[in-house]
Amino acid sequence: MLAKLKSKWYYSAFAVLLLLLVLLPFNWFLGHYTSLMIFIGISTMVTVGLCLLMGYTGQVSLGQAAFYGMGAYISAILSKSHGFNPWLAMLIAAAATGAFAYIIGYLIFRLRGNYLAMATLGLGLILYILFRQLGQFTGGPDGMAGIPYLSIGGLIFDTPFKRYFLVWFFCLAVLFISQNIVRSRTGRALRAVHGSEAAAESIGINVAQFKVKILVLSAVYASLAGSLFVHHLRFVSPQPFDFLASVVLVTMAVVGGLASIWGAIFGAATVRILSDELLLGFGEWDIAIYGLILMVVMIFMPEGLFVKIKEIFERWRLRYRRKGAET
Amino acid sequence: MSKSVVLETRGLSKVFGGLVAVDRVDLAIETGEITAIIGPNGAGKTTLFNLITGVYPVSQGEMLFKGKLLNKVPPHKRAKLGIVRTFQHVHLFGNMTVLENVMTGQHPRSSYGFFEAALRLPKVHREEENITLKAMKYLNLVGLGTHVQQNALSLPLGQQKLLAIARALATEPQLILLDEPGAGLNILEKRELSDLVRRIREMGVTVVLVEHDMPLVMGLAEWVIVLDSGQKISEGTAAQVQKDRKVIAAYLGEEEV
Repeated sequence: MLAKLKSKWYYSAFAVLLLLLVLLPFNWFLGHYTSLMIFIGISTMVTVGLCLLMGYTGQVSLGQAAFYGMGAYISAILSKSHGFNPWLAMLIAAAATGAFAYIIGYLIFRLRGNYLAMATLGLGLILYILFRQLGQFTGGPDGMAGIPYLSIGGLIFDTPFKRYFLVWFFCLAVLFISQNIVRSRTGRALRAVHGSEAAAESIGINVAQFKVKILVLSAVYASLAGSLFVHHLRFVSPQPFDFLASVVLVTMAVVGGLASIWGAIFGAATVRILSDELLLGFGEWDIAIYGLILMVVMIFMPEGLFVKIKEIFERWRLRYRRKGAET
Repeated sequence: MSKSVVLETRGLSKVFGGLVAVDRVDLAIETGEITAIIGPNGAGKTTLFNLITGVYPVSQGEMLFKGKLLNKVPPHKRAKLGIVRTFQHVHLFGNMTVLENVMTGQHPRSSYGFFEAALRLPKVHREEENITLKAMKYLNLVGLGTHVQQNALSLPLGQQKLLAIARALATEPQLILLDEPGAGLNILEKRELSDLVRRIREMGVTVVLVEHDMPLVMGLAEWVIVLDSGQKISEGTAAQVQKDRKVIAAYLGEEEV
């Protein structure tokens, strides 16, 4: 019964969010924030993957920007330089990134312990260098422009208003899928791997396989986000996929709450608004501020902002109810 | 040949560097019995469990489960075959509720995967309902039916151990290996544990336990196997083993029993 109530709660939260997101761009207030909302959606997609990987399965990735960048560059190169249909390019990018993650995961997870953090750190650095140095394909440090828009039939996603809906369609799909996975046999297996690998194995969970699978899923999310990113900006350069980007993604996941799928939106939004709106004057100091945020969140709300807000809300509701009962 | 053997080992050995932890051990665990493996610290009891469940690869010898060679079966597949264990250090999933811990135990008896879960296909609902019912059955069996939504680690140690047993039972095993189930429990909890082990046996599950608590072992086990320095030095009923001079010299003689 409790599970049913809980799932009702999820669906109503989902419905409210959906309504809000649909209404938001029609509001005069949004104006130039449409672009910000698009970036929040894109970041959320990558962050959700990190939450599944880090928060649920307990495997740390410090190179998620590498998968994000792979999606971006494969989409950009195929659609612009080779004239592929952008959707096909996106699909190929996701498949290639997923396959790449599978190989990486297969190699790393044969070792015991948390080697993923180190390996992904190296991976992120290597791919960033490749994006910069493979000038004839990637445009080098200057990047490449003129990437085509996505379109469906006659509908071309050529305005931020249209792309807002496109990005949030993908983002909500990713959130929905992830929430379903978390609340399932598969989700329990992932959390079991986090809780105790020995115990998970003893009750028949193929620990290595689940780690690889979730790494692949998170890489595919990141790749899709990267593809949307380049078809939004119509421009790609190495800088958004550097080491700092990976750190910012981890910050988003931590701020939202590592073990909370919906928290990813909060984390992505908080960090995005900080970086795109509030921290512009800080220049290179922004990385210090991300560090500070990471520390503060880890110390005072290790379960993340989203969980903390939910807690405060629950407490407030209980107090309100008690007062109602007294009078 | 009157009874059938569920688990058999022949010349089973495990060598760590220069140390022979398990030394040419022959076992025949009979179906439906409660067998205890005893021995002083470092006798190789837990290593034996780790070999049977596949945590360590075997150095030499073979293990047969219901007549089939077990040596090369990957550890996670042994639960599906019907072998499950508990741990000396409990190893609950601290990031889950009591109920979810036991539901996770149903993993080898359910089948839907990433794809079905992602789209929440009808199969998911059907299996989840079954998984929840089964989990509740095993929680009630160990007497934790009222603690369902609590975090697993918020339980006192005695109940944590019962929860670990419920989780193991949820894999619907034919053979359950209990690694020091009585350690850290008080007298009352030990009595409950004994009752539970008997109930498990009545369900048709073969029980093998490693235990230091002699009164507990002697009261429960129908067959006792004694290990010392990796070797099997004696086996028999509790009464027979207690009289064995080799056992007294190696183990019982050093303690007051």
